[in-house]
This record gives sequence, C-alpha cells and structure tokens, in this order.
Amino acid sequence: MPLCLHEAVSLRPRLTRRRFLYSASAGIAAAGALNFRDLMSLQAADLRREGRAMILLWMAGGPSQFETFDPKPDHENGGPTEAIDTSVPGIRIAQGWEQTAKVMDEIALIRSMTNREGNHQRASYQLHTGYVPSGSVKHPSFASAVSQELADPDIDLPAFVSVGPTIGAGFLGVDYEPFVVNNPGQLPQNVATTVPGDRYERRLGLLDRLEDEFAGRGAEAVVKSHKRLYGKTSQLVLSDQTKAFDFSEEPQALQDRYGDNQFGKGCLLARRLVEAGVTFVEVRSNGWDTHQDNFERTGGLAAQVDPAMGTLIADLKDRGLLERTIVVWMGEFGRTPRVNPRTGRDHYPRAFNVALAGGGVRGGQVIGATTDDGAQVADRPVAVGDLFASVCQSLQVDPNHENISPLGRPMRIVDKGAVIDELFA
Amino acid sequence: MSCYLFRRNRLRWKFLLIAVGAGLAGAMPAVGHAESPPGSLSDTSPDDVAAEIDRLIEAQIGSPEKLAPRALDEDFLRRVSLDLAGVVPTPNDVTLFGLNPAPDKRAALIDQLLAGDDYAEIWASYFSDVIFLRATEARSRINQPVFQQWMAERLAENAPWDEIATDLITATGSVREEGSVALVFAHGGAPEELAAETSRIFLGIQMQCANCHDHPTDSWKREQFHELAAFFPRIQVRPQTAGDVRTFVVSSADDFRDNRRRFDPEQIFRRLDANRDGELVKREAERVPGIGDRFDQILANADADQNGSLSLEEFKTLRRPPMNQPGRGSAEYYMPDLNDPAAPGTRMQPVFFVTGESLETGALDLQRREALAESITSPENEWFSKAFVNRIWGEMTGQGFYMPIDDIGPERTAQMPEVLDLLAAGFTASGYDIQWLFRTIARTDVYQREIRTIDPLDAAPFAAASPTRLRSDQVYNTIVRVLGVENLAGQRTRRGPGANGPVRRDPARAAFAELFGFDPSTPQEDIVGNIPQALFLMNSPQLNALINGNADTKLGRILKEHDDDRDALAELYLLALAREPSDREIEINLEYIAEVGDRVEAFEDIQWSLLNSSEFLSRR
Repeated sequence: MPLCLHEAVSLRPRLTRRRFLYSASAGIAAAGALNFRDLMSLQAADLRREGRAMILLWMAGGPSQFETFDPKPDHENGGPTEAIDTSVPGIRIAQGWEQTAKVMDEIALIRSMTNREGNHQRASYQLHTGYVPSGSVKHPSFASAVSQELADPDIDLPAFVSVGPTIGAGFLGVDYEPFVVNNPGQLPQNVATTVPGDRYERRLGLLDRLEDEFAGRGAEAVVKSHKRLYGKTSQLVLSDQTKAFDFSEEPQALQDRYGDNQFGKGCLLARRLVEAGVTFVEVRSNGWDTHQDNFERTGGLAAQVDPAMGTLIADLKDRGLLERTIVVWMGEFGRTPRVNPRTGRDHYPRAFNVALAGGGVRGGQVIGATTDDGAQVADRPVAVGDLFASVCQSLQVDPNHENISPLGRPMRIVDKGAVIDELFA
Repeated sequence: MSCYLFRRNRLRWKFLLIAVGAGLAGAMPAVGHAESPPGSLSDTSPDDVAAEIDRLIEAQIGSPEKLAPRALDEDFLRRVSLDLAGVVPTPNDVTLFGLNPAPDKRAALIDQLLAGDDYAEIWASYFSDVIFLRATEARSRINQPVFQQWMAERLAENAPWDEIATDLITATGSVREEGSVALVFAHGGAPEELAAETSRIFLGIQMQCANCHDHPTDSWKREQFHELAAFFPRIQVRPQTAGDVRTFVVSSADDFRDNRRRFDPEQIFRRLDANRDGELVKREAERVPGIGDRFDQILANADADQNGSLSLEEFKTLRRPPMNQPGRGSAEYYMPDLNDPAAPGTRMQPVFFVTGESLETGALDLQRREALAESITSPENEWFSKAFVNRIWGEMTGQGFYMPIDDIGPERTAQMPEVLDLLAAGFTASGYDIQWLFRTIARTDVYQREIRTIDPLDAAPFAAASPTRLRSDQVYNTIVRVLGVENLAGQRTRRGPGANGPVRRDPARAAFAELFGFDPSTPQEDIVGNIPQALFLMNSPQLNALINGNADTKLGRILKEHDDDRDALAELYLLALAREPSDREIEINLEYIAEVGDRVEAFEDIQWSLLNSSEFLSRR
C-alpha cells in the first residue's frame, strides 16, 4: 500500500481534520497509515535537511529555440542567427549566449520538447503546474508542490519565492503560495516594521489574544488560517534571514557579472535565497513573445539572460550549491520555424528546447534533436510530464505523490511522465 | 464623566434583545406555511419566495437544533451593508439600526441599500473582476473603468440580467467609450476564449476542456465547443488612433467578398495592381485597408529582387493568411486539426450546445451573436437563470448550490436542488430582475443566520451563514472609512478633463486591488490571503501614519473626544468592526492599556490589531 505511506507523509505537516477526512473518504486506510506517520515523517525530515532546491529561469512569452539552444544556421528557417562553440566540443548554441556556453559542461539541453498548448495562458499554466488548465480545480504550481515536500520547517523565509509574477499554490493553500519579489536587491516592500521590534511583537501578542473572540463567534477556521498566515509573516519580518534580500555584502565584481538589471539581480537573489535554505526560486524574464523583430529582440534579451545564467551556474558551482540545486531554463513553448512577414516567429509548441543544470544532472550533453528545418522532433520526443518527472528525480520528490483536491480528488504531483534517464546517467 | 455613549450602548443592547426575541417569535408562524406544495410558486414576491426557500431548507435539514440562530442586528447590518453597498456601516448607523424598533427594519434596510449608488458601484466592480481577472488580452485593462461605469449605470437602473448579457455578447464600439465591449475585448475577440467564457459566465458550464478533446468527465464533445466558437469568428478588434489617444474598436467583419478559404493570390494581385503593370507598389496597396499599412513589412519579406515592388511571383511566395486569427475577423470558424495544426481545419456551423439551435454558415457577425444571446437568455434555457442565481447565492451566503460557483450544468450535482429550482424559476419569472434576486436572498433566514464554520462534509448546508473573505474593494472602502480619509494615496479624487470627465481611478485603490484582488469565481476556501497582504496591513508606512494617535487622524480625534478608555474602545470597535467590544475584549484591551502605560501608544496598537484582525477582512 504505497499510497497510504505517501498520504501519511503529506498529511503530517498540515493534518487538519478536514483534509484527513478527505483522505479517508478517498478510500485510504487511515488507521493503518496513521501508525506509520511518525516513522515516515522522520524520513521526510531527513529529506528536508538535505536542502534540495530548484531555480526556474522562466522565459515568459515563449523563447525561440532557434535563437537560444537549437540554432539552425544552415537552414533558411534559422534566419541570420549564427551558432557558436561551447565548452563542450560538438555542442553549438546560438550567438549571444557566450557566457552560458562557458558552462556547457554543467548543462544538459533537451532539444526535443514537444507539446500541444500554443496559448500563453494555458501553456504557462501547464509548464508551471504540469497540468492543463481546468475550470474545476486550481492545480498547485509545481514549485508549491515540491515546496510542500521539501521545505525546511525551521526556515523563516517563504519556501517559494518568485522574482516577478507566477502561478500560485492552488489548492495547497497559503503555506506554499509564492512570495513575489518585484525589486530584487532590496528588502521586499513592507518587510521592515514601522515600529521598534519589541513593540511590533507586543502588537502581535495583542492581536493574537483578540482573535479568539471572532473564533468563538463561529469563524474558527478563518481565524486559524489567519493566525497561520500571520505567524508565517511575522516570522519573516522578525528574522535575520531576510538579509538574504540585501546585496550589500556581495562583491561588486560578482554583482556586475550577474548584470545590473532585473533578471541579473533576480538570479543573484536566487542564489542567495537557495543558500539561505529556500526551496524554490523562480526568476522571470519578460518579452520572449517575438511575433515581430524576433532577431533583434531575442538578441537584446539574451544580453541580459545569458550573463546572469552563466554566472549563476558558475557561482552555484563555486559555492558547492550546484549539486543540490537544479537550474531549469524554459518558457511556455517554442517559436515557429518559418519567419513571418514581420520578421517574427509565432507560437510553436510542437518542438522547443529546455536547458537544465545541477541537481545531479549530467552536463555537457544534448538530449533529442529536431529535423534540419526545425519543424519536427526528429529524435527522442520529451513531453512536459517527462520533464517534470525528471526534475522530481533530481529533487528526490516522488512524482506519484498524491495531493487531495478540495473536491476529494487525488492528484499526483506529475500526472504522467517518464524520467529521462540519460539526464542522470 | 463621558458615559453618554456607554449609557446609549446599554440602551441599545436592550433593544437588541427585544429584536432577537421578536425574530424568534416571527419564525413561528412560518411553520404554518407547511401546507403549500413544495416548490410551488404562486407569485414572485420576494417575501413569499424567501419564506418558501426557508421552509424547504428547514424541512430538508430536519432538526431545528442544527439551524444557527438569527444573527444579531449589528451582524446583519454589517453583512448586508458589505454585500449591497460594499462598505461597513458607520458607528452611527449601527446604533440607529439597533435602536430602531420597527419589525420590518431589515427588509426596509435591504430596499434602501438596493436603491443606493453604492450598490451599483460595488457590484459593477464585482462583475469587472469576473470578466477581467480571466482576461487573455492584457491590454483590455484600458476598458475596465469604462466597463465599470457602464455596468454601474445598468445596475442603478436595474437593467435585467438578460439585457446586460445580450449587451455583453453583442457589443461593438471603441473600448475607451463603450463599456459593454468588456467581455469581447478581454479576449481580443478570440472565438475559442469567448466560447469558453460566455459559457462559464452566463451558463456556469465549463466547456473549455472540450477545446482540445472531448470533455474528459462530461459528455460535451469537442465539436460542440467549436460549434459554440463558430458564433464569434467575425469579430474584429482593431487598433485605432484618434488624435493622440490609442484605442481599439470592436466591430463586425462581414465584408468577405473574396472568401479567405479560396485564397487566390492571382485574383488578389489583379485586384491590387491598379495600373496592370504586373508590379505592385505601395501606392496601389494603400488603396486597400489592411494591406497598405503592412505593405512595408510585406515588401521586406517577399521582395526577392529588392526593386521596391512585388511581381506576381514574389506575391505568391507570401503565406496564405492562416485561419482563426483572433480579432482579425474571419468569415467562418474552423475547428483546428489537432494532428496538423497548419491545416485549415474543419469549418463549423454555429450550434448552441444546450438547445441545439443553429445558424447557417454565412450568417453575419451580429446575426450570430444576437442569435446566441437570444438562445442563452431564453427562459427555455434553465442554465442562464441558474448560473446567475448560483453565483449571487454563493456570494451572499458563502456556499453555492454548486461549487465552484461557475461550474454547474446538467452533469453536476447541486446541494438542495429544489431550492435552486425555486429561486431560478422566480428569477426567470421576475424577468431576470437582479434586484429581485438580491432582495429575495437577503430576506431569507438562511442569509440572516449567525455564522458558523462550515464543515464541507456535514450534510446540512445552509444551516448557518458562513464567514467569507471580503473582496478588495470592500476592504479598501472599509479601510478608508475607518481611517477617515478619502483614499490611501493621500490625494483628493480628481476628475479627468472637463467638469464631467471620467473619475480618475484612485491609484491607491488600483494598487490595493493588485495586492488584495482575487477572482470572485474562486471557491471561498481557496481564498486565504497571502504574505504580501499581511505585510501590507502590518507594516505599510502609509497605513501606520494614518493610525498615529498624536496626529490629526481619526484615532487622534477619537482619543481627544473620549477621555474614558471604554468609550474610546467602543468607538474604535464600532468604527472598524461595526460592533461593540465584548466584555472579554474590553478586559483584554484595558489590561493592555495599563501594561503599555502610554494611552496613545496603546490605542495605536489596538487600532493596528483591529485592522489586522481576521474579522476585519471577513464578512460575518
């Protein structure tokens, strides 16, 4: 009965009566599972201590594979984009990615991603949750799901931080909602108190005592969830760990290498947060929806993303963090092989690419290939589920772990997918 | 001794007790109605329908001890004020309402709120969230204030829901002037998105899963979804620059003399090549809208010999315009071929999946959209009425008959379906009278009961009211009321150009909505707040400046006016929570004041705690 065991682990940190009953109604042998609970939570705690983490570099809009990691300089579909050599002989990527090229020995490229969703909203949802959108259930973001599995219960910082907007925790609730940072390099808005710390704590004490009145008037559940939120928030406010948001101790030279822009700073923040024990950091780069002037615009974007990404991977490596941190570069889909009349490329989910580094991924390899014209996957198609299952493997999270939706439906972290074994071989 | 307030409050309590007693007594004759057949609808007076709803629910729940008692006047007043006016009542309102001995004062208050401007404003903002928080066209924000103003006008004149729905489905016009284009523009005129959202909002049926495959759990077929999308292909959304203002215009693209399905480059070339010299130049192309303004781009792409003009051979290398280009207008709608996304797909006939009503291909844009609006709003289509009733009932009571509130339809199971049927039948019979629905729901005992934490596994729904989280506008309205300011930006509300220009959106309200807004179709249990919201309420410098008890703030004035701590406390509680503090709360706060030793500082902390309390953010 492996299902019972997973259930028991997941229920441990937030075993509310309701959720427990949902599980029971979902046909789980509750009595048996409960006996394993403490045992399993011990193992889960070991996992948490390992501090496995993920950094998602999200290229919002859908990055062109031709202008990133699958250039086709010898075909007309490739446009004017040249290919450059990397630190790994035989692997060539698009011009503009010189810093990333230097750390290619840490990177595995998947050039054979294939999917069907060609609408930004739907595909972004899918590439963030592993599920296509459905009206009836708000799926948790993958980041929230792995945060639930991996987050260190003792950390004051939110388990999931996003530099820029992202998809939320869905039915997993407030504990795993992304903490959105808009100005990396500064203490996030309203984290600093307006009154001295002891007075702030005194206020919290008063609030806590006053909350019981409303609970007694029939709002028990509301008060409980509010108290949990305020507990988490005040823990953050009072914590020393918020200095992870402050770059003043970072050498200027390193800050310069990351880049003096939102994305570069976001990547430096990602490293600092992972170092401080945060489980998942997403850093968003906007503007990849290049229906017009594709070549000019992707060049400009690469000028920001490339140095940040190359520096991030090298910096994580230098600090010994890369082994436990998987870095994933991707967007919601690729772009059309044919260049349109506006010198742009349109949405193309049929063949696109993803880059991964760290977290046990064997770098310096390319998985899959597209045809010469880039229109089709020629070798080893990889579906979204396969990618997510593989990331789970890196994070040592069970992709079949089931969370129970509010309507009582068990939902796996990854719906279906097979691990890409080559990634780790 | 400033014990006037205290005395007044004691008096008020006496009245409250009487009111509660009257409420209990009033419930007794309701049992006498039991003879009337269940679900019958002799007339649609809100009172009769409300009474029948309560009878059905009480009969279904069985034991009266499972029913929560009628809420206190102060709880009812706060609840109904938030629901129908979007803001908490003033301390004065609370006291007066408590003192009012009229037995029908709750019904009278409901009528009074429905007649007010605030009712129209708050529900316009609600529907704005329903539409725009699911927008797939990011630029649609420019229409949001225009929509809100339009919707508020429609609600104020109590336009029936079928008229509003028809307006939204059939709208055309400039997005800076015409509020009703909201739904169409929120999706850039894209047929698939409009099919999905029209069905979700007006029918409560989630068809979008059938976009790519037959619905996984329901019986909807992929064809049915695309037949619904076939009501929308001719919508055109075009940018327009008037003066230095950039806008978009929603219109019908019915002029398809050369059917795009038979894309014949030679024919088009002959038509464009006015002087018949076999070369197409910009001057010739400019005569044709849609080609002239893109000619430079076309030239850059297709002019192989780079002579600045296009020969027929060069022209033929241009790609044929793809089908289903959202917002470009296409004569017909084509269901994509999943195995070959580049193929034109299958031409679909407009068919309304609920009733099977259909139109011929070739129909004009407005013929299609009007036909669809007519089918959707027809009294024969029960889902139109049920979707709206379920939504408003869910908002008002915290529990829908179906949950989530926008996922209903023949394949879902409702709680207490006979109550929904009754209410939906009444709403239809009223001519989709929106205020009738609000009035009826607000008059039920279900609406007027005390709150309880709802256990979703408990089989007694609607036995109590359920505490729900306030929407962003309700919280914002309440914060500015409590702090005694016009807005949180520290500015006066300004109007745009001209004396009657549109009200400039309060920038602080918009920023607040960014932080506190949520899709109103989200199930209540998923709305739990987040860390940035808590950080804002705890540490925002703006907010903290406004609770400075030494400055000329609301708190500063209260402290000056009331040197008795109990009075000041009562005033603060009335202001923030629209009720007086309980004995226990008075005790905790007085203890706290003594402990801190500094009156102003202690009261600042108390007001901070009230603003940060879960009750402040909830409808109780």
